[in-house]
Order: sequence, then structure tokens, then C-alpha cells
Amino acid sequence: MVGSKFKWSTIILYCIAVLILLAAVFPYIYMILQSLANWDQVDKTLIPSSFTFRSYVFLFKGGPNAEPKPWAQAFFNSLIVTLSCTILMMFTGLLVAYALSKLKFKGKNFINNTLIFQMFFPSIILLIPSFIMLEKFHWYDTYWAMILPKSVSLWAIFMYSSFFMSIPDEIIESAKMDGANNMTILFRIIAPMSASISTIVFLFIFMERWIELLWDMVMIRSEELFTLNVLLAQMFQTYQQYPGAMYGASVILTLPIIILFIAFSNKIKEGIQFVLK
Amino acid sequence: MKDKSITIKGWLFASPYLIYTVVFFLIPVIGALFLTVTDWNMMSPDIKFVNLDNFISAVKSPEVQAAFIVSYKFMAIILPTTLILSVGQAMLINSLPKYKNVFLVGYFLPYLASGVAIALVIKGVLAYNSVVNVWLRSIGIAIDWFNHPIFTPLVIAFMITWKFSAYYILIIISGLESIPKEIYEAAKIDGAKSWTTFWKITVPMLYPALYTIVILTSGWMFSIFGEPYLLSRGGPGYGTYTWQLSIYFNAFQRLSAGYASAVAIIAAIVTFASVLIIKRLARGWGRKYGWE
Repeated sequence: MVGSKFKWSTIILYCIAVLILLAAVFPYIYMILQSLANWDQVDKTLIPSSFTFRSYVFLFKGGPNAEPKPWAQAFFNSLIVTLSCTILMMFTGLLVAYALSKLKFKGKNFINNTLIFQMFFPSIILLIPSFIMLEKFHWYDTYWAMILPKSVSLWAIFMYSSFFMSIPDEIIESAKMDGANNMTILFRIIAPMSASISTIVFLFIFMERWIELLWDMVMIRSEELFTLNVLLAQMFQTYQQYPGAMYGASVILTLPIIILFIAFSNKIKEGIQFVLK
Repeated sequence: MKDKSITIKGWLFASPYLIYTVVFFLIPVIGALFLTVTDWNMMSPDIKFVNLDNFISAVKSPEVQAAFIVSYKFMAIILPTTLILSVGQAMLINSLPKYKNVFLVGYFLPYLASGVAIALVIKGVLAYNSVVNVWLRSIGIAIDWFNHPIFTPLVIAFMITWKFSAYYILIIISGLESIPKEIYEAAKIDGAKSWTTFWKITVPMLYPALYTIVILTSGWMFSIFGEPYLLSRGGPGYGTYTWQLSIYFNAFQRLSAGYASAVAIIAAIVTFASVLIIKRLARGWGRKYGWE
């Protein structure tokens, strides 16, 4: 009697859990299905009955009344910008965090304080003057405008330094005895120890940079330099009569991130425990 | 001598941050302060100084007043809904006997979405001829979702809630895991109902996680951009006109860099002050539970 009651509540629990799961993944499923739907069914049925690759062909080849937009180039731009920023942010994060957590030097407190101040500083103030400055540098409308101003992540520094705090100083001391310099210690000993936190830092920075909108929209004018997210935003009104193609572009934009996170999902658990502490 | 070399090494390792901060933080901040007292339109070679005129006309303008109200309006909708949804979903996952991780990963997926892609889906789902609207019209309800004083802000708030509660679930889950099981067992022995247990044990013990969520969410309310930009352009009647939209439109469409910088500084002050006040309130709430 008690056993059967327990089962019923578990079944109800799983039903609710599955319903919420459906709500969580609904937009993804929707955009995939609609991108493959026959064009007369797009947005008119939840589950299309006939499928076609026309939306994807249209994206890359164009149609009778529409020149193709540089979607492949945009994907490539997103990849270059995101990877460059992510690598730079992780590299600078490692260096600065090492200085702040493992080196003793005059002015360390000052740097720590500016870092905290900056983290709470509303960055919207920086947008307009940065735009003008980058224009003066002749970096406006180039990759540099998207990469260099996003080459340091305060969050990455913060994450790495709080992780490094948990590494005992004895390891560094004994490495120094063996004649290792700071660079060797950081990249041969500390960095490999930080693999799990690095995975998390990589995934979150990559994801955030990949879906950045406002900055890239302001800094770039040429269509062939648009990131995928910006191109999609720019075509929002223009391609209104081609919703299938827009869903196709959304799938191309979204899928890499989802695949990346699912591929690393078993490593996320251990890293995230640390991030949230 | 040795002290000096250690100091140099420290500054050398920290130099990427220092250079970055000077070039991409300090100079822009000074630039912003300079811009606010000018009438520069980003093109003309002569720049006039206008003292505090930009601030005065910004404070008086209906669009800035709208942005001020809209951020709190979104906060009033999004803060409670994200809290309820993230706590509810986290507790649901926690109470599942099996496949916890499948649901954990699944519930997290909304956080990975680009606002642009989701705006596209929402626009499709709520388009005039969509399944939803055809059905609604068949029972006599016609809603113009993207041009409606109540539903447009709600749709945008819903999108933001959907995305951010996905991340907050993780924060709540790790908060739940830190609550000792013995407390619940003791409460059960004392005959506490699950409703009482929730309010007297779970919520107080989750306070640090809830505090984080409250601060993160309220900070985020002042930087909403993509969703209203794509779906409503801030309308109808400035109903979804956020700070970032105002700054973007003024700077990069009307090209009034000085005025837009003044708006940006007002936005920053309002953000800073609001988050500070909310922090105070949240701390006071925590003190009731005995947290410091």
C-alpha cells in the first residue's frame, strides 16, 4: 500500500520534470523543426509534416529575389573572434591570477582593489568613448575592435585567483628549489592542476563571447566582418519573409554551444561546484 | 635588491590587466566624462561645451524617465519569477531518485541561448498566423503580442526569466546540497509539515544562494538590450524602453554622443545606487535568518 503510493508520487514528479524539460528545450526543438519545414508550413504548425533543406540552401545560395548573405563568413568571423578572445582571456587570467595569489609584491592590494571596483562598475559608460577611441586608432570595423577590448576577463582572473589560493605554497616553493622560474611553475605545474576550473572558464567565456550583441554591433559596419549573432540580428527585419532561413541560421548559431556544453557536461559538475562557492 | 626584483615580477605578471585597464577602462571613463559636457555629434570638427545641459535635458526627457521606470518594472516581474522558478526546479531535480544529471543539464540549456535566436523563435511562435494566435482567435481572443502595453513587457520578461533561471538553478542546487540532511530528519521527527520545513529550514539555509540571485538579477535589469531591440524597439509607448536602448539609439542613430554619454552616466549611477539599496535590503533580510 505504502509502496504503490510512493510510486504514484514519483511518476507525477517525473511527469512534471519532463514537462519542464520540454519547456526548457522547446525553442531549440522549434528552431530545428522549422528550419527543416516546408516553407508553406513554417510558423504555421508546431510539428511540420513535410521537410526540406530549402532553408539551408537559401542561406548559402540565395533565392530568385535575394542575394545570399555571407553566413559562412559570419560563422568563421564568430569562430575567430570568440576563440581569440577566449584564449586571450584565459592566458591573461592565468598570468594576473598567479601574480595576485602567489606572488608577493608592493601594490598588490591596489591592483586587487581596482579589480573589485571594476567588477561593480557599470560598463555601459565605456561603450561610446571606446567606440570613438577605436575609431581614432583605425581599429573601428576590424577584428581588433572585437578582440582587443575583450582580451581580459575580470571574472576569469577572479576565478583563477580564488582557485590558486587553494593550491599550497609548498608546491611552488619546492619547484623554486629545483630551479624552476615563475613561468615554468605557472604553465607546467599550476595550469595543469587547474584543468577542471579551466574547462568551466573556457565554456562560460566562449559562450558569452559567442552571443555578444551590442558591442559587436556598434564596432562593426562591414557585412563581411559581422559575427553570426550580429548578422542574424541585422537580418531580423530584412529576412522577415524567409523565416525558415532565419531558423536555419539560428540553428547554426546555437548548435555549436549546445554541443560544446553537452560534450563537457560530465566535467561541468565538478568545476561548477567551485565556481558557485 | 631582492625585494625590488620580486615587485617587478609581480607587476610584470599583472601587466596585461594593467595595460588593459588603462586603455580600455581609464581612458574611456575620462572620455565619457569629457563627452557629457559637450554637444559633439561624432562628426563635426568643432565641439561646443554645454556644461550640464546634457544632464538637464536627459533628466527632463520622457525617454530617460521611461528607461528609469522600465528597469524597475522588469525587476518587479523578473525577480520573483526567477526566484520561484529556480528554487522550484532545483528542488524538483533534487527530489528525483534517478536521472538527476539528465535533468540538470537539460534545465541548464536555456542559459546558452543567444537572445537573437530566442527572439526569433518567440516572434515566430507569436506571429499573426502562428498556431497559438490562430487558436486564440478561434476562441475570440486577439492579441498583438509585440505592440501591447501589458503583453509586450511580459513576453520580454518571460524570455529573460526563461534564460536566467536556468543558470540560477545551479546556484540553488549547490545551496541545497550544503544543507545538512539531519536538520530535515529532526524536523520530520518533530512533526513539521513540508510547507513549514520549506519556509523555516530551506529558505533560511538557502539565503546565501538567494542573495546571489537577487543581486545578479537586479544588476542585469539595467543592461537589457537585445530582446526589446529586436522585438519591440522599446515600444509600445516606451513601455519596454531600457537604458541600453536609450544609449544605443541616442549615440548610434541620432549621433548625439554627448547626450548619450550623459544618459550612460545617469544609467550607471542609477544602477549602482539601486544595486546598493537592494544589497542593503537583502542583507537585512539575511540578518533575520541569522546570516551576517
